Amino acid sequence: MMTAAQFKMYRSIANRSLQRVLAYRISYIITFLANSINLLAIYFLWQGIYSGREVVGGYTWDQMKTYLLVTFLANSVLSWYSESAISGKILDGSVAVDLLKPVDFQTARFAETLGSSLLEGGMSTVLLILFATFLTGVTFPGSLSVYVLFAVSLLGAIVVKFGVVYLAALLCFWSTGSMGIVWTRIALTNLLSGALVPLAFFPDWLEKLALLLPFQAIIHTPSMIFLQQADTGESLRLIGIQLFWGAALWIAGKAMWNWAVRQVTIHGG
Amino acid sequence: MKMSQMLYLYKRLYVQQLKAILEYNKDFYILMCSAALTQILGFVFLWVIYDRIPDINGWKFWEVTFMYAMIFLTEGIGSLFFEGTWRLGRLVNMGELDRYLLRPVPVVLQVFCTGIGINGLGNLLIGGVIVWQSLVHSPVHWTLGKAAILILLFLTAVIIRVSINLAGNSAAFWIRNAGNAFPLMVHNLSDLAKYPITLFPQAIRIFISTVLPYAFISFYPATYIFGKSGWSGWWLLAPVAAIGSAAAAYGIFRYGLSKYESTGN
Repeated sequence: MMTAAQFKMYRSIANRSLQRVLAYRISYIITFLANSINLLAIYFLWQGIYSGREVVGGYTWDQMKTYLLVTFLANSVLSWYSESAISGKILDGSVAVDLLKPVDFQTARFAETLGSSLLEGGMSTVLLILFATFLTGVTFPGSLSVYVLFAVSLLGAIVVKFGVVYLAALLCFWSTGSMGIVWTRIALTNLLSGALVPLAFFPDWLEKLALLLPFQAIIHTPSMIFLQQADTGESLRLIGIQLFWGAALWIAGKAMWNWAVRQVTIHGG
Repeated sequence: MKMSQMLYLYKRLYVQQLKAILEYNKDFYILMCSAALTQILGFVFLWVIYDRIPDINGWKFWEVTFMYAMIFLTEGIGSLFFEGTWRLGRLVNMGELDRYLLRPVPVVLQVFCTGIGINGLGNLLIGGVIVWQSLVHSPVHWTLGKAAILILLFLTAVIIRVSINLAGNSAAFWIRNAGNAFPLMVHNLSDLAKYPITLFPQAIRIFISTVLPYAFISFYPATYIFGKSGWSGWWLLAPVAAIGSAAAAYGIFRYGLSKYESTGN
């Protein structure tokens, strides 16, 4: 178990990462705007899809608007930064210095991710609430318990997404660039988590497959809870599944790390 | 400098870059496959939606996939042959552009040949297949003239794409920050042209037809090929958009270059 001293150490790592986001706030804002362009395109695409149609794939237009906002929020809490930071360390060889530190690599990276996610998630939430007030028909849940469950599921989503990102980043021990791996990860996550289109739209076999994989815990779970498509009991079950995947990916990450460091080759210097 | 000389130099510079990337061939395959996969999954997205509904605003599945693939196809050509535009930020920030200024070769040509984005090959292949399939599955009445115009529209699309890349990345002359996300934002705006522009409010339609004429890459060629009523003749503006964006991009680049002061070391 983590001792108080260790906890303090990781907390300061998280804090440092939060400071870094603040230092590069212009970059963050431009990246956020760039991502909103995608949201804009998708929003109008869906509007066109719903014109003259009441319900598509079991979602009404109002529900779909809410779905898009939840997706955007869940996607923006774990930033591009945390992704490039881990693979960057591996590719430029600074991971060698980390190996010397009395800090667990995985936990330290998770602390960093959590630090920047808190700030980025907070800023995204504020901007999204502003955005939502201009949109008519976004359905907000009425009861407090839904918000609590939603917040917990967002945290669960961060843990699962970190697990996926971490495993993908460790693959950089075997490659010389990170872009290809990052793009593949993004494409797979976007499709199988429900970020592009709700899983209910998929053909039966694809939906069943997606529900068996960890990716669905990133978008599908929080959106089900926020849209109240899952009652309290079902929500708790979904969060349980998130926890299972979070733990499984964490253990897989640990195993892969132990194996990968033995293969490490670092360019001379 | 004569055009033939420029082409010769381009070829020589390009082959050198090709040798460099073939050194790291594992990365070569990963990048190519990841670009192809990204595009295939985007195609799956459209397919999943069209599985539920017959059309969006009167646009059929294969018409939208055509527009979608044109955006990727031109991006692929951009990365494969003109990837250097994306390295402009680094060239400026590291002061590497000094070297280019000393050579008796047009700077813009050297910038184009600063790298090869092999991911472009993946985009080019899959994009090509989707464009081809879109044309096969749509009731297009082919004539020689139509084929010639299609090739012309394709060329203008590539020119527009590369020009916008160059103009967007020229921001590096003004924003001297390693994490400059401005070119990425300009690039992301092409997302809007993946779908029929009739979906968007008037302001956005005008924006992606004039300021950043992405619509001439995908939408206007599509209206011509699929014979959309109400849009006939608009494709004639595509060469104008291509010449205009090329001139504007070159102007912005030259102006930025005149502001270039290198790094202090």
